[in-house]
Amino acid sequence: MNIKGSPWKGFLLLLLVSNLLLCQNVAPLPVCPGGAARCQVTLRDLFDRAVVLSHYIHNLSSEMFSEFDKRYTHGRGFITRTINSCHTSSLPTPEDKEQAQQINQKDFLSLIVSILRSWNEPLYHLVTEVRGMQEAPEAILSKAVEIEEQTKRLLEGMELIVSQVHPETKENEIYPVWSGLPSLQMADEESRLSAYYNLLHCLRRDSHKIDNYLKLLKCRIIHNNNC
Amino acid sequence: MDLWQLLLTLALAGSSDAFSGSEDSSKEPKFTKCRSPERETFSCHWTDAVHRGSKSLGPIQLFYTRRNIQEWTQEWKECPDYVSAGENSCYFNSSFTSIWIPYCIKLTSNGGTVDEKCFSVDEIVQPDPPIALNWTLLNVSLTGIHADIQVRWEAPPNADIQKGWMVLEYELQYKEVNETQWKMMDPILSTSVPVYSLKVDKEYEVRVRSKQRNSGNYGEFSEVLYVTLPQMNQFTCEEDFYFPWLLIIIFGIFGLTVMLFVFLFSKQQRIKMLILPPVPVPKIKGIDPDLLKEGKLEEVNTILAIHDSYKPEFHSDDSWVEFIELDIDEPDEKNEGSDTDRLLSSDHQKSHSNLGVKDGDSGRTSCYEPDILETDFNANDIHEGASEVAQPQRLKGETDLLCLDQKNQNKSPYHDACPATQQPSVIQAEKNKPQPLPTDGAESTHQAAHIQLSNPSSLANIDFYAQVSDITPAGSVVLSPGQKNKAGMSQCDMHLEMVSLCQENFIMDNAYFCEADAKKCIPVAPHIKVESHIEPSFNQEDIYITTESLTTTAGRPGTTEHIPGSEMPVPDYTSIHLVQSPQGLILNATALPLPDKEFLSSCGYVSTDQLNKIMP
Repeated sequence: MNIKGSPWKGFLLLLLVSNLLLCQNVAPLPVCPGGAARCQVTLRDLFDRAVVLSHYIHNLSSEMFSEFDKRYTHGRGFITRTINSCHTSSLPTPEDKEQAQQINQKDFLSLIVSILRSWNEPLYHLVTEVRGMQEAPEAILSKAVEIEEQTKRLLEGMELIVSQVHPETKENEIYPVWSGLPSLQMADEESRLSAYYNLLHCLRRDSHKIDNYLKLLKCRIIHNNNC
Repeated sequence: MDLWQLLLTLALAGSSDAFSGSEDSSKEPKFTKCRSPERETFSCHWTDAVHRGSKSLGPIQLFYTRRNIQEWTQEWKECPDYVSAGENSCYFNSSFTSIWIPYCIKLTSNGGTVDEKCFSVDEIVQPDPPIALNWTLLNVSLTGIHADIQVRWEAPPNADIQKGWMVLEYELQYKEVNETQWKMMDPILSTSVPVYSLKVDKEYEVRVRSKQRNSGNYGEFSEVLYVTLPQMNQFTCEEDFYFPWLLIIIFGIFGLTVMLFVFLFSKQQRIKMLILPPVPVPKIKGIDPDLLKEGKLEEVNTILAIHDSYKPEFHSDDSWVEFIELDIDEPDEKNEGSDTDRLLSSDHQKSHSNLGVKDGDSGRTSCYEPDILETDFNANDIHEGASEVAQPQRLKGETDLLCLDQKNQNKSPYHDACPATQQPSVIQAEKNKPQPLPTDGAESTHQAAHIQLSNPSSLANIDFYAQVSDITPAGSVVLSPGQKNKAGMSQCDMHLEMVSLCQENFIMDNAYFCEADAKKCIPVAPHIKVESHIEPSFNQEDIYITTESLTTTAGRPGTTEHIPGSEMPVPDYTSIHLVQSPQGLILNATALPLPDKEFLSSCGYVSTDQLNKIMP
């Protein structure tokens, strides 16, 4: 019972903490009854809240990566040694401003949604694995939990935006799949740390991409390129 | 020799190489900074190599590589632009810049890697400084010492804010011109910010720098903006300035009221005296007013008798009442004579009994009349408000003058001269003080009184009723005794009075005395002087003078010592010719024989003619 109970207690505690943390920083999403397709919230508000969420997620990712690097891999040249290839690299994401300006709005939105969807599973495993570590770093764990939660909410928001901007878009469930779980569970500490490092590095980059793309889209759609 | 030179040259070359090698190593080119100002291009700079080393090592090259998708391509490309960013730099334009793709660059010289660096573009973003700084005045504090300003600027032009490609945050710093430490404000996302509480008389410097949000570093500071707040005269606000008349008036009144109250409280007693002057209350020295209120006359009279200043005036507010009082109980009084006698003289025993004051003094028990008479006059004094002031000295011996003292039987020269008749004159109000008298004088007075007592029959000459002929200005009543022969009495009284006159304490007022007496008392006995003495006696108030007494002397023979019981018919009324209050009465000598000078010495009665003779 104790073995069973403690993880549940910890989970509940985590949920409570995460809720508290959420209440601190994140503005609540629009209240839409039961995920209805049509919401009375305006697109402007949706974009504003999406940008806020994406910005928050990117901050958390950056902090988590910094803490991990400082604690485990600093100065050890992981950045050069690692392959540094993310599972979302296959997506045709614009890499600079010209490319971002050239992509159309619809593709842009679907791209963002795909990235968000592709990170659901890696975030889940990240939380599980970090929690299972011997010396679970509380800071990293809490942030991981928070990022997972907020990413889900951002995905919901994005789906709302898509339904409003492009209602005819079919639900495209294609997204890159993450297969880095075995690497997180490797026995070799060096390999494991390298896998974590890569994962966190990719997370930071993708959250930054999402944040940047949403800001571009917001200025393009809402403010007509005049933020 | 050549071998030595070759070896030396080689050694020198080797040492030089070694030196150059160390120098080169210390001066190898290194990346100093890679920077992207707008997230679209970036450039990298390195240190310049030493000439010595550069020549030997060859030109420096920069190679870069981008880690593409799932590949760590080791294909190094050379720097596309060595020029645009200046010397020892490599400039990557937008086509070569990818944001989320990491770069690695390396610096080579002579094929050898000198330096290497890996980064992503977001990490090296350093925006340009903001431009177009300006400020506006928000408000000035009421004191005119501090002011708030709003500082505005624009984002660096190369940062694409409109499209949302870059989101910048700014940091503003300001300080006074002569300060060294900059004050920093929190990062702001907008391009304007208020700065509060700047001192008006100081000049400030303001600068702003920007940074990309969440990544990168702060860029360079903008140009310094100088803020000079306009000095505003604090007293030039004419619109809102008004002289606070109302406040001044209110506070002035308040202050004056406070001062007035303080003054009133400090001078409470005096002001009370001014507003409510005390009503003169009859006071008797040594007498307790409460005792008087209780109405115990006997006790009060006892107390009064003990004290020097005796004024049982509370009993009778009318001095005439005592004169009229009758005491039928005492037969002696009846025998003594008519009411006139009582009224005029002195049956003071009666009044004594009426008053109920018991005089414990031996010499005064029966000689109460003067007391009563004196008290009457005292009452007048009191009524006039002069209670204890200028009380006529009471002559104890004089108290016996008019009373009949049976105790003293000693004879004196005046004994024979004192018939039973009583002197209608009354000694004026005197203070109830025992006056030391010469023994002989006192005795003589007593004797005289005694004699008077012993001959009450003489008093019968006085009618029961006496007509009041006049009232002196002093208030005393001048009676007409009628048939009374006052000669003897007058003589007796004269003597007595003369004796009393001898006393220093002789009451100057109300004393009716004979000239003869005065003569005897005064060593020098000029008529004038006697007159002078006499006159002051008249000065006093409440002198009780009877015309009869005044005129009796005129008709009296010049004998002083002896006055037989023969009576001399005296006119009932003698008009007073002149009343000179301080100088005495001048009577009309109608039917009076002119007394000779002896007469003058014998008695104090002075007629007009006598006065004319006497007075110069």
